Amino acid sequence: MEKHFLEGKMAGKPEFRAEPWYNPYGDCIEYQLVDEAFVADRVDELLTIYRSVLDNRPIGFQIKGVQAIIRKFGWEGLVVASEAGAGQVRSVSVVALLLAAYETGPMTLGRRRAYAAVMDSSPKHHTIPADDLVPA
Amino acid sequence: MSGGVTNLADDFSCKTIDPNNPHGPRVDAIFPGDLTLRYWKYSPVRYWNLIAAKFVLEHPQRVFYGVREYNEGGWCYTARPAEWYVKENVVAAFPKNMVLAVYLNPNMRVYLCRAEFAAKDDPMCPVDWQNRYRGLVWKSTS
Repeated sequence: MEKHFLEGKMAGKPEFRAEPWYNPYGDCIEYQLVDEAFVADRVDELLTIYRSVLDNRPIGFQIKGVQAIIRKFGWEGLVVASEAGAGQVRSVSVVALLLAAYETGPMTLGRRRAYAAVMDSSPKHHTIPADDLVPA
Repeated sequence: MSGGVTNLADDFSCKTIDPNNPHGPRVDAIFPGDLTLRYWKYSPVRYWNLIAAKFVLEHPQRVFYGVREYNEGGWCYTARPAEWYVKENVVAAFPKNMVLAVYLNPNMRVYLCRAEFAAKDDPMCPVDWQNRYRGLVWKSTS
């Protein structure tokens, strides 16, 4: 494989991190359990499951249209508030976002199974700071 | 960007087909510095597959517009690289039944690169492309 075009421009030591994060350029939340190449298994307009190209097992997911979900459902029901130091930190629950995304589409068996599988695989208490959810 | 990634890396641009004027001069597609830095630090396989993403942008076979229902605009460029990373330090031939899709937002910022199963009617298109995208902007004739 050829030399990376960004070689020498990166700092820090690479270390895979399995945590959900907000991608501001795509207005989506991404989560990947293992560091492997994946193929997209699109469930609907809001959810895509990532399957390992090595053995087809689900290894992550993408929630699209985060701003649209927030506009539709409001912060209430999505936000988990917690105390941090002197102030209050608002964070968005990834599972609450998944539930909201599910409510947005038709209640079919296929969708229910896919969303249930994703919720089973996602960390139950993962949240993303609300202040991070700003599209670029 | 979330997750403690600060924007220390510079944006990187490469030339690609202008989706608004496919037969005109090529334009810049931008890999945002904070996104590539996140990949470098936390998703090494994605970082290394930016090589394949750059190949797709420089040698696209199909370009689609209207890639999201809930976000206006955006583009999807597809092609088939010869190889890619499947695990850290493990390079393999790119699967014959897949196509690599690189997604750009309306500001021509790359935000995602991933494999998609190829459509049966056109192996350079992602499966169900007729329903997923608003349309095909450009198709390679080579």
